[in-house]
Amino acid sequence: MGKGSRLSPGLPGCLDRRGFLKMGGVTGLGLWLGNRSLKALAQEPAAPPPRPKTNIEDALRVPKTKFSLPGFFPGKVVEVQDAAAVKDDKPVSRAVYRMVEKGLEGLTRKSGKDSCRLFFGRDDVVGIKVNPVGPGTISTHLEVVDALVDWLVSGGVDRKNIIIWDRFDYMLKDAGFTPERFPGVGIEGLQTMDEAAAMGKTQDNSRWLKPDGTHVSTGNFDLEAYYWADVEAPRDSAYLNQHVFNGKYSYFGRLLTKRLTKIINVPVFKNTGNSISMATKNLGYGAVCNTNRLHAPLFFDVNTEVMAFPAVRDKLVLNVTDGLRGQYDGGPEYEAKFAYWLNTLYFATDPFALDMVCHQQIVAKRKAMSVKVNEHPKFTEYLRYAERLGLGVVSADKLQHVRV
Amino acid sequence: MKRAALFSFIAGLVCCFSAAQTTVLPAQLPSGWVKDGPPSEFRGGSLFNYIDGGAEIFLEFGFDRLLVQSCKKGNAEIVVELFGMESPASALGIYLMKCGTETPLEGVPARNSGDKTQLTIVKGAAFIHVNNLEGSSSVLPAMAEIARRLLEGIPEGKPVTLLEGLPSEGRIQGSERLIRGPYALQSIVTLGEGDVLGLEGKIFALAADYRDQAGEPSSRILVGYPDDVRAAEVFRNLVAGLDPYLKIVEKRERGLVFTDYRGKVGTIERTGARLEIRLNLAARPSQALRNPAAVSGGTGLM
Repeated sequence: MGKGSRLSPGLPGCLDRRGFLKMGGVTGLGLWLGNRSLKALAQEPAAPPPRPKTNIEDALRVPKTKFSLPGFFPGKVVEVQDAAAVKDDKPVSRAVYRMVEKGLEGLTRKSGKDSCRLFFGRDDVVGIKVNPVGPGTISTHLEVVDALVDWLVSGGVDRKNIIIWDRFDYMLKDAGFTPERFPGVGIEGLQTMDEAAAMGKTQDNSRWLKPDGTHVSTGNFDLEAYYWADVEAPRDSAYLNQHVFNGKYSYFGRLLTKRLTKIINVPVFKNTGNSISMATKNLGYGAVCNTNRLHAPLFFDVNTEVMAFPAVRDKLVLNVTDGLRGQYDGGPEYEAKFAYWLNTLYFATDPFALDMVCHQQIVAKRKAMSVKVNEHPKFTEYLRYAERLGLGVVSADKLQHVRV
Repeated sequence: MKRAALFSFIAGLVCCFSAAQTTVLPAQLPSGWVKDGPPSEFRGGSLFNYIDGGAEIFLEFGFDRLLVQSCKKGNAEIVVELFGMESPASALGIYLMKCGTETPLEGVPARNSGDKTQLTIVKGAAFIHVNNLEGSSSVLPAMAEIARRLLEGIPEGKPVTLLEGLPSEGRIQGSERLIRGPYALQSIVTLGEGDVLGLEGKIFALAADYRDQAGEPSSRILVGYPDDVRAAEVFRNLVAGLDPYLKIVEKRERGLVFTDYRGKVGTIERTGARLEIRLNLAARPSQALRNPAAVSGGTGLM
């Protein structure tokens, strides 16, 4: 739960939103439908629907670069824990800095600016993708981003070439990512959304809808770079307000395709249902628009396939999962009951290896806390899919989980 | 809002929100606390606009209306979320999904679990969250007081006796759940795609974890259907659409035995209008269940 709305860009689920609304509508009647309807329903086969086609082949045709996923350290995940990282429910900057230093050194075997120069050149424009959902509670901690910005600067990256970004501009502000807090660093959302309109507090759509019927953020997305899936989006204005486009195309943000040359991904250690909403979901559902239509039919395969496109695959060089505070149930939005101070940061160039390690850890935590756990392989299948596509290394015999 | 008006509002909640009330809290808040603007209201599917990513489970259990009211005192902020559910069973179903290991707060006159950051409460057809966004311990007394004032006007509703259908022997206290569709089921097990238990948002299945005499844990899911015919149809569909990771290793007169992706054993057995599913068994039962659970046909709420 966050301030105001609990809208999140990464939305789990297994049913199409509108489809579920229809279902909810029937449920809401609270009426017994009678044997006739029941029999008709009972005759419907329970076989899974066919997987919708996507344009993943387009991504795979593009030659890789030396920076392409899984990056310089396939399958390697470095975990740094420090009990002194948090005091009085607040991160301790100095301790967080030390953790970042240790983590990067553990990952790269280089220290300070040398580790930075492994990934970044002076001319790079570096995007730091944060997760602002659950602002101030379960969102990416500002102190972690502070440490990463300073590390980049120490390696020669100009502050003006660093951009903290997320899909939604208002969420960045709510979570504390403001120009005042990060002077000299860019702060950008790929899109805006009118919260008041989304929450039904106003019928005035002029803050997000242009007279020509398009979203004011349309120009922020690259119509030449897209993830296509044979799944139609809802046509209503509430969906358009949140997702910028309808139809079957999820366009990449122009920030990624035209301006950023490198990306650091800083997700939060939290669950979504039986799975996790961490490194791959932070970008899989955060780098493109028009995503809600994808949850039901493609689930986490979207994470894998979106990250297979060059805008992410060839620019994402580092992932730091913020586990200073974790949440083992009720995610991806904040659920205080299940949030806890974990005092841990995780480092990897390979986001799929990172998610596999964190998935295993959150499952262990859920068991320890007597939360129901469904360990069905489908909740990690997207990670094995990534391995088959050559984007990550997740097999148990190849994962290298290092605690420093 | 005066108590009479609050009662009227809550009565509206219980009656599927036919009333046009739009307030959540009484006018008299704890000292120093003031409402921060009018409440936000979400009905039916518009819940996605508030908890997109988390609305599905509420809708599955039967959601009617949510009112959200923020209160402030200085920098402290409490946000009350009052969910009106279709029935007390619907509210209990959500509560059991959300409460975690219960840690009741003394002085809150309803079933609850919470701490300084969040109170989770169920009473009648209402499910309530009282959230302390800053997490300061000093706010806890105000959270409890607001909860008490809110609860005064909420009727108890018809007692929910559904969980009495679960066998008590070996049952792990606190593990009980209600299931009304695929979202709640998925938190426990994947048996197939969609509404494989044929609950259709009307029948409540029961679930709980157990320990046998050797201390080995396992889980049970029990469903009572309106009649034998319906139970037989669901059973056939369940078998036909059984998750590919579950391998049937034995067919029996009234059911089957399967192994899952970890090699754990499960059983599905139909007895008349009842369906009983056992999960996470360490070994294959020597025979079909001798003592089907005490769920009689048609006891699932509709």
